[in-house]
Amino acid sequence: MKKIGKSRELNSFLFLAGLIFLVGLVNRSFWQPTAIWNCFNDSVVFTLLSAGIAFVILTGEVDVSIGAVLGLSAAVGAALLRDGYGVVTASAVALVIGILAGLVNGVGVALFHIPSLIFTLGVNGVVRGMIYVYTKGAWVENLPAEFTRMSNRMLIGNITVFYGLAVFVIVIGHFILTKTKKGKYFIAVGNHAAGAILVGIPADRTKVTAYVLCGMFASAAGMIYASRIGFITPTAGNGYEMKAIAACVLGGLSLNGGVGSLVGASIGAVIMSSISRVLVFLGFSSDYDNTITGIMLLTIVVINTVIQNRATENNRRRILNARTVGKGEEEK
Amino acid sequence: MKTPVWKKWEFVLSLILILEIIIFASKNSKFLMPRVLFGSMNDIISICIISLFVTFVMVTGGIDIQAGSIVGLSSIILGVAWQDGGMNIWAASLIAIAAAGLCGGLSGYFIAYCGVQPMVITLGGSFLYSGIALLVSNLSATESYKGISGFPDSFLRLSKVKLFGIIPSQVMIFLILAMLAYVLLHKTRYGRQVFLAGVNPRAAEYSGIYTKLVIMSTYILSGISAAIAGIILTSYLGTAKGDIGATLTLPIITAVVLGGTLSTGGKGSVPGTALAAVVIGTLRFGLPLCFKVSQQYLDIPAGLLLLVVVTGRAVLDSPVLKGRFLKSNMK
Repeated sequence: MKKIGKSRELNSFLFLAGLIFLVGLVNRSFWQPTAIWNCFNDSVVFTLLSAGIAFVILTGEVDVSIGAVLGLSAAVGAALLRDGYGVVTASAVALVIGILAGLVNGVGVALFHIPSLIFTLGVNGVVRGMIYVYTKGAWVENLPAEFTRMSNRMLIGNITVFYGLAVFVIVIGHFILTKTKKGKYFIAVGNHAAGAILVGIPADRTKVTAYVLCGMFASAAGMIYASRIGFITPTAGNGYEMKAIAACVLGGLSLNGGVGSLVGASIGAVIMSSISRVLVFLGFSSDYDNTITGIMLLTIVVINTVIQNRATENNRRRILNARTVGKGEEEK
Repeated sequence: MKTPVWKKWEFVLSLILILEIIIFASKNSKFLMPRVLFGSMNDIISICIISLFVTFVMVTGGIDIQAGSIVGLSSIILGVAWQDGGMNIWAASLIAIAAAGLCGGLSGYFIAYCGVQPMVITLGGSFLYSGIALLVSNLSATESYKGISGFPDSFLRLSKVKLFGIIPSQVMIFLILAMLAYVLLHKTRYGRQVFLAGVNPRAAEYSGIYTKLVIMSTYILSGISAAIAGIILTSYLGTAKGDIGATLTLPIITAVVLGGTLSTGGKGSVPGTALAAVVIGTLRFGLPLCFKVSQQYLDIPAGLLLLVVVTGRAVLDSPVLKGRFLKSNMK
C-alpha cells in the first residue's frame, strides 16, 4: 500500500519534470531558473487550496465550497486591511471564516450523513451569496501597498515568502498525516470507513477536522490571493474548487479516498497552474488552456484506473489459480 | 414501502411550490399574471430541461457536472456551422445535438467501460468541452466575446412563439420533454434497467442487462438534453456563445437532488426533478419581483433551501438521527 502511494507521487513529480524538460526542448528560455521557479511561485493559491481539499479527499469526501470560502475570506480580509486593520487581525478574521465554513460542512457531512457533494454545494451557494451581501456587489480595492508588496518578497533566491510558507505548512501536514497516530486516521477513514470505526477510530470527528482544515487552507489561500491580485471581485475564486479537485487527481489522489498525500496534491497544483504558462512558452494561445487540462485529466485518470483494475483482476486470478492448483494436488 | 415515500416527497415539493406562489402572490399581485409567470420560465428553462435527464445519470449512481459546458459547446457549434459553415440553421442544430451526444458518449464510455469515477470524468469533460467551445469560437470570423448573432427569424421564433397567445414555446418544449423523460424512466423497460443499474450493477449484469451500455446511454441523453437547452438558449438570447452554460452546473445538480434523487443511485423520479426545478425557478423569480431581493443574492435562498431540505430528509430518513434530534417523538 505504501509503495503504491509513493509511486503515485513520484509519477506526478516525474510528469512535472518531464513537462518542464519537454517545454524546455522546444523553447530554451523556459529552462532558466526564474521561469521554472515562477511556475512554483504562481501556483501558491492552488497549492494551498489543493493541499486543504486533500485532507477532505483523503477521507473519501469532497468539498466544492472552497472557491466561495476563498472569495469570502479574501473579500472580508481585504476590506479589513483597506479600513486600516493590521495584517494579523485581517488574517485571523479570514481564518475564522474558513473554520466556520469548515465546521458547517463537517457537521452536515459527518453527523447528518449527507452526500458531501450536495451539502457543500448548498454551502457554496450560501457563502457565494454572502460575498455579494458583504461587498454589495462592489470590488474591494485600494489595499495597502505594503500588503500587496508582500507577494513579491523573496524568501531565498527565487522562492517567494508565500510559497515557502505554503511548502513549510504542507511538509508539516505531510509529516502529521504519515507519521502521527491521529494523522493516519484520515487515510484510514478514507480507505475503509466502516473498518476504521470498528477499530475505534472516531470517523465523524476526523471528517469534521478534515473539513475545518480544508476551510482554513482555503482562507489562507484567500489572503494570499488578495495580496497577489490586489483587488477582490465578488466572483473571486469562482470555479477554483473544480481546479483544486483536478489538481488533487493529477497529484495521484483517489476521489474514493484513502490514497494519496498532501505532497502529491501540491505537485498536482503546480502542474495545473503551469499549463497556461507552458502554453505561452510553446507558442500556443492560452485559449488551449481548458482543452489541454481536460485532455490531461482524462488521459491520466483513465490510464491510471485501467492499469489499476487490470492489476486487481490479475491478482484475483492469481489467487484463484493458486487455490485451484492446491486443491488439485490434494486430490491426487 | 418505497412508493409512499416518493409520493410523499413530490407532495411536499408541491406544497412548497403552492406556498411560494401564495406568499409571492399576496405580496405582489403582478406575480400571478400569466405573462409574467411564464416569462419567468425563460431564464430557468435550460436548468429545467437538463436536470430532467441528469436525473437518469444520477439514478445510475453517477453524476454529471459537464452539462453546463456542453450547453456552451452546442451553442457555439450551432453558431459557427451556420455563420461560417454556411449551413441551414436546422442542419446546424442537428450537428450541435450530434456533437453533444458524442461528448456525452465519450464521457459515458470512460465511466462505464473503464470504470473511472463519474465525478472525475465529468470534471475533466467540463474542462475539455468548454475548452473546445473556445477553440470552435476562434474558428469563427466573429470575435469570441461578442458571440454570433443575426440568426434567421424562423430560428428566433423557436423561443418567441406562444401557444394560445400565453404559453411560450419553451414551456411547451419543457413539458413535452418532461413527459418523454417520465415515460422513458418510469414506464419502459429501459427505465427499469437504468434503476437496476443504480441499485445493484452486478445483479443487473447477471440478469442479462448490458449495464455498461445503459450507463453510457444516460450520459448521451444528458448531453443531448444539454444541446437542446443550448439551442433554445441561443434562440432566446439571439446570440451563440461558448460560455453561456458556465453557471448552470450547480443549479442543475441542486434541482435533481431537491427532486428526491439519491446521489448514491437507485432512487429518483422525473416528476420530482421537474417540480424541484420549478420550485427553484419560482424562488429565483419571485424574490426579486415581490421582495426586492437583489438578483445577486439569490444564491443564498437557493443554497439554504437545498441545505434545509437535505438535512431535514437526512434526519427523517435515518432512525439513529431521528432518535438523536427528535427524542420526544420516539417515546
